Amino acid sequence: MESQEGAAAAATRDCVLDFSRLSLNTFNVNNVSEDRRRDTRQLFLNYNRLYALPSSVSLFYNLELLDISNNGLTTICEGITRLAKLKTLLAKNNRLDEFSLPKEFGSLQLEVLNFSGNRFQEIPLQCTKLLRLQSLSIGGNRLKSIPAEIEYLTSLEMLYLGGNLISDIPPELAHLPYLTYLVLCDNRIQSVPPQLARLHSLRSLSLHNNLLTYLPREILSLVHLQELSLRGNPLVVRFVKEMIYDPPSLLELAGRTIKSRNIPYFPYDMPSNLVLYLDLASKCPNPKCAGVYFDSCVRQIKFVDFCGKYRLPLMHYLCSPECTSPCSSNPQSDAESEEENSVPADRLQRVLLG
Amino acid sequence: MEQTEVVKPETLDELTAILHKIFESDNINVEEVQNIMESYESKPHEWMKYAKFDQYRYTRNLVDEGNGKFNLMILCWGEGHGSSIHDHTDSHCFLKLLQGQLKETLFDWPDRKSHGDMVQKSQRILQENKVAYINDSIGLHRVENVSHTECAVSLHLYSPPFETCQTFDQRTGHKNTVKMTFWSKYGERTPYNICILDRKHKAKEVKLLGE
Repeated sequence: MESQEGAAAAATRDCVLDFSRLSLNTFNVNNVSEDRRRDTRQLFLNYNRLYALPSSVSLFYNLELLDISNNGLTTICEGITRLAKLKTLLAKNNRLDEFSLPKEFGSLQLEVLNFSGNRFQEIPLQCTKLLRLQSLSIGGNRLKSIPAEIEYLTSLEMLYLGGNLISDIPPELAHLPYLTYLVLCDNRIQSVPPQLARLHSLRSLSLHNNLLTYLPREILSLVHLQELSLRGNPLVVRFVKEMIYDPPSLLELAGRTIKSRNIPYFPYDMPSNLVLYLDLASKCPNPKCAGVYFDSCVRQIKFVDFCGKYRLPLMHYLCSPECTSPCSSNPQSDAESEEENSVPADRLQRVLLG
Repeated sequence: MEQTEVVKPETLDELTAILHKIFESDNINVEEVQNIMESYESKPHEWMKYAKFDQYRYTRNLVDEGNGKFNLMILCWGEGHGSSIHDHTDSHCFLKLLQGQLKETLFDWPDRKSHGDMVQKSQRILQENKVAYINDSIGLHRVENVSHTECAVSLHLYSPPFETCQTFDQRTGHKNTVKMTFWSKYGERTPYNICILDRKHKAKEVKLLGE
């Protein structure tokens, strides 16, 4: 029994090659025997002074984890793309940017990628080709935006983009079916696209320290959301008395009548652009109103009670000023929010607003 | 009573033993506890078994129940994890950084009448091995790991132990009471609030099985 355990421990030791914290200026792969290179599954080179990773790192052909964090790396060598079994790449706290990655980087079978603490101004397109990626961290960089191509990362469960310069969230982010943890704190985000409500798997959403004044009401439909952080946002606390409302056009009035009276129409009845227009009708969220709207709607901020504790300003689009409800005019009152807008306590367990 | 000789705890176990002795008395010398905790130099291999991280939020991992006089626990903070503004239910709270850094923001208790923003009193970054102290008469605080690249691990001592506290909404000063749970106890994960046998009972059980 004991010798088996000893052998297992030795095998684990052989699998891990720890060259971290050795003040290495260079890493000479030839100093490691062929056998050792074959057996190594995890290679730690973090906390050294490497300016470059030699392409000969590809000689560790069974490598599954490579940690090159906390060095002075400005590029990642082309040899890394030959590591066919590499699942985890940790490269935090280096000097990498979007020009640092080898051309074929996207061909790696990575599941976990961490580029936090570097100098990326953009998420490189090669990263959006990593179809097996489950966890992506590019926190503490200089990202100005999130590319729409993020939607290619269909296996993504965790996306950490806190501490950047992001001002917008692309609606394509909502196409990630397995996303459970989304971190966008410490950015410059002014609005959250309502499409994010389609992230049915989302469990935790971090939006603290941004420039949000309100949230889309669709956020209420994120049924698995347990943690939501919103502190450090200039969230509206006063009822917005000014309701911007452009009167509807004739086209819109006609469209509204057709839809609300259920007047049947067929593609051969009218030009295709009008058929398309009618299909884009949005239902007024006011439960007492069966109306629809197209382009002309009233934007109104309503305060929604979360678990009886917090009042969140949510942006509602209503079909007309008559659809607003008088009881929401005093956000500071202790009066109950409308029934349909209350979120039960078990739904959101940790709203870290405050 | 004379202050005991300053003995520097070399290990976490030694620190725990010294704390047990100190807390035998009902009078707590805050400075003494702070100095003792600060003099223990964090050694990760000693506390690694308690340092269980959760992807989504910070975790509380019980280390020692202090004979009912105090709770000693290790909190693990992933990147960007933070707490709400909270009080300490009339207890002493000591916080020592074992790894990484934490930002502490102090707040005054909100006025019963005021419905506006809670204004922060002060803010500081706590460095590795440093110890902070707070109690309800000093005020309220929020603790956060503001790093996007590093995790943080902190050692907390609460005396007397407490299971509930109040959290505060910074925008309005509204408060509510929350129940605090442990992610793990004595190095064992404790999901769904299932009670696990503490060490005393475990020893008893083993003996019975051996008979």
